[in-house]
Amino acid sequence: MTLLKLTRRAMLAAGAATALVLSPLMASAQTPSDVLIVGQIAEPKALDPAAVTAVNDFRILMNVYDGLVRYKDGTLEVEPSLATSWDISEDGTVYTFNLRDGVIFHDGSAFNADAVKFNFDRMLDENHPYHNTGPFPLSFFFSAVENVEVVDDMTVRFTLNAPYAPFLSNLAYPTGLIVSPVAVEQHGAEFGRNPSGTGAFKFAEWRSNEAVVIEANADYWDGAPELQAVVFRPITDANTRTAEMLAGGIDLMVEVPPVALSEFQGETYTVHEQAGPHVWFLILNAKEGPFADVRVRQAANYAINKEAIVNDVLEGTAAVAAGPTPPAFAWAYNESLEPYPYDPDKARKLLAEAGAEGAELTFYVTEGGSGMLDPIAMGTAIQADLQAIGLTVNIETYEWNTFLGEVNPGLEGKADMAEMAWMTNDPDTLPFLALRTNAWPDQGGFNSGYYSNPKVDELLEAARAATDQAERARLYQEMQVIVQEDAPWVFVANWKQNAVTSDHVENFSLQPSFFLLLDDVTKN
Amino acid sequence: MAGYILKRLISAIPVLFGISIIVFIIMAMIPGDPATAILGSYATPENVEKLNRDLGLDKPMVQRYFIWLGNMLQGDFGRSFSLNRAVLDEVLDRFGATLILAGTAFVLCSILGIAAGVVSAARQYGLADKAITFAVLLGISIPSFFLGMMMILIFAVKLRWFPVSGMWPIYGARDLPALISHLTLPAFALAVVATGVIARLSRSAMLEVLRQDFIRTARAKGVHERSVIWRHALRAAMVSIIPVLGVQAGFVLSGAVYIEMVFQWPGVGRMLVGAILKRDILLVQGGVVFVAACYVLFNIAVDVAQSLLDPRIKT
Repeated sequence: MTLLKLTRRAMLAAGAATALVLSPLMASAQTPSDVLIVGQIAEPKALDPAAVTAVNDFRILMNVYDGLVRYKDGTLEVEPSLATSWDISEDGTVYTFNLRDGVIFHDGSAFNADAVKFNFDRMLDENHPYHNTGPFPLSFFFSAVENVEVVDDMTVRFTLNAPYAPFLSNLAYPTGLIVSPVAVEQHGAEFGRNPSGTGAFKFAEWRSNEAVVIEANADYWDGAPELQAVVFRPITDANTRTAEMLAGGIDLMVEVPPVALSEFQGETYTVHEQAGPHVWFLILNAKEGPFADVRVRQAANYAINKEAIVNDVLEGTAAVAAGPTPPAFAWAYNESLEPYPYDPDKARKLLAEAGAEGAELTFYVTEGGSGMLDPIAMGTAIQADLQAIGLTVNIETYEWNTFLGEVNPGLEGKADMAEMAWMTNDPDTLPFLALRTNAWPDQGGFNSGYYSNPKVDELLEAARAATDQAERARLYQEMQVIVQEDAPWVFVANWKQNAVTSDHVENFSLQPSFFLLLDDVTKN
Repeated sequence: MAGYILKRLISAIPVLFGISIIVFIIMAMIPGDPATAILGSYATPENVEKLNRDLGLDKPMVQRYFIWLGNMLQGDFGRSFSLNRAVLDEVLDRFGATLILAGTAFVLCSILGIAAGVVSAARQYGLADKAITFAVLLGISIPSFFLGMMMILIFAVKLRWFPVSGMWPIYGARDLPALISHLTLPAFALAVVATGVIARLSRSAMLEVLRQDFIRTARAKGVHERSVIWRHALRAAMVSIIPVLGVQAGFVLSGAVYIEMVFQWPGVGRMLVGAILKRDILLVQGGVVFVAACYVLFNIAVDVAQSLLDPRIKT
């Protein structure tokens, strides 16, 4: 008897205590007005730009560091940043940069030519005393660099082993961001958790699995940011990220799942969209089977209803792709290119001409993966479209890393087609690595469908050696026309990155680079 | 007793050894290597080979196993490449969070489950029994991650009584009230299924006991019914309830993986899921071995508790 009474009393007491404890919390959930809370998709690996590979980490890094050059606002063209100007030698192998005067790292040390040399030597020279602060997985972006020389305190010279036109855009990529040598020397392998750069924000705090906090750099050479601080919260589950946005726990959310976009209609939120340097395509096995015939490859391009995929499956979060180069590379994109129209009758006719009616195809589909959007639903829609023109398509589904292990070594003997997506920083990267004859898997490339056209090879080699942007653009545009006609891939979609901001946030816009730049953002 | 505990502890060693071998082999067999996972689109054979060398993954498997085991026996679990941090630091950090979540859920489901089972048994076929049985069936049938999402929608997004996710507020004090407000939803979501299971088994254990002679004797002596149920019967029934609690503790711990994903709780389950997807071999191996060791120890503790409660169990 006493026991039950006690229990009742205890429960009442416990209830009252809980209510008391919780009541102040309801009010205290608000955050300071000049602090922006960003909902990220994952915990960063490190805040060392040379050591990381994920867009998720880049979103923080771009606000903490600067590179020698950067992308002009809203474009993928480079402009001066820590370098104020540069000269390129006639033969395209020597780049001389004049550095910005008076720039100071967050730790108080000075930015100069020695610091630049330190950064690239650390990444590229295995004998450098701080090479062991790696590994540096993307250091091959700079594998063309033969040496870096300090000409004087404010001038630095890069010598390349061959002309390599993407060099400047690679410098604008996070792998090329400049870190403080003093901080690397001080923290060694722990530098990634104690970062120091020259950027608009300086690192304040990293609470594992909770938040990375950066604070305004009042001395920023390009003008101090408006915000006092930015907090990046890792929220891996997209539904939870959406719920946090709806509940006011975050001010800015990246990578909104298509199905959640409808939650953010109305005045309280702003949905931002920006097409990026991304292309989602199907690799077709041009070496064997039905797709060895160009007519069957073109038939696949006609048969697949890309409009339906981007509008219905992806809820408008992507645009139909016309060719191998995303339109986000405005300067190198061929505006005259029209996507293959949806035309099942034409597809059937091409199939009949090629004698490939009723062919059976193996289709590799992945469950997820970086830039893959909604691969299973998209794969199923594609399967249905191909079956409508009389092809039998057998889907095999793999987890992302397993999938890469199957696709990257080449499709020969295994499959006729595979899903794939790439996001790059230069129009050179994807075609050079995935469309050249010398990029077949057995030669270390990603041409898993064994496409080969000597003219395309020639254009790509020439574009890489050219230093004049207009000349490069012409070569890429010509390449796009040939590749579209040859149809080594089915060109499906260009992803539009999205983000949602609350009505407290102003002056925010997404960049085609998919980086998140917050130095002009305000929060009221 | 001490001898019994020691015997059980020694018998745990081969279990842990076996687990270390299994998790090592699984991580070695699983398709896709860490270098490919890190490099993503840029995983050329050349880049993969170089990175594998940097990560020390180019050595033969057996050699790698013994290096890992040897280091681990000296307390060095290696370094996680995906988090760029010592594995043991990360696992200990994360395990603390999981213990808070799973521990709270375990206490909740034990108290609520036993209480529901006892009331149910005392009022067999009564209204309370039927209501509890219905609620229990419902609780067992709802997947915990779905329940968690619904709880977020109702209590965090609509009513705003609790935060959506995380363990601590981003700004403000990291004190007990803050922890409780973050803990409430995930702990309840995690406790629901186990509460149902414990309630059902407590009910049948109680019914069994209530039919026995000493209960009738107690009632005949005029002991108050509440006392009969909560003092005499429950104590006897605990002997068969405790092993159920032990098993449920395991389920709560493994169920925490889903709940940690939904509520972004910084626990070891979420860490392991992330580590597996990134093929962070050392973090997966270290995390699994650590959790397994804790689970084995907990089971020993349950057995010891049972033998203390019931002298008939030989030690």
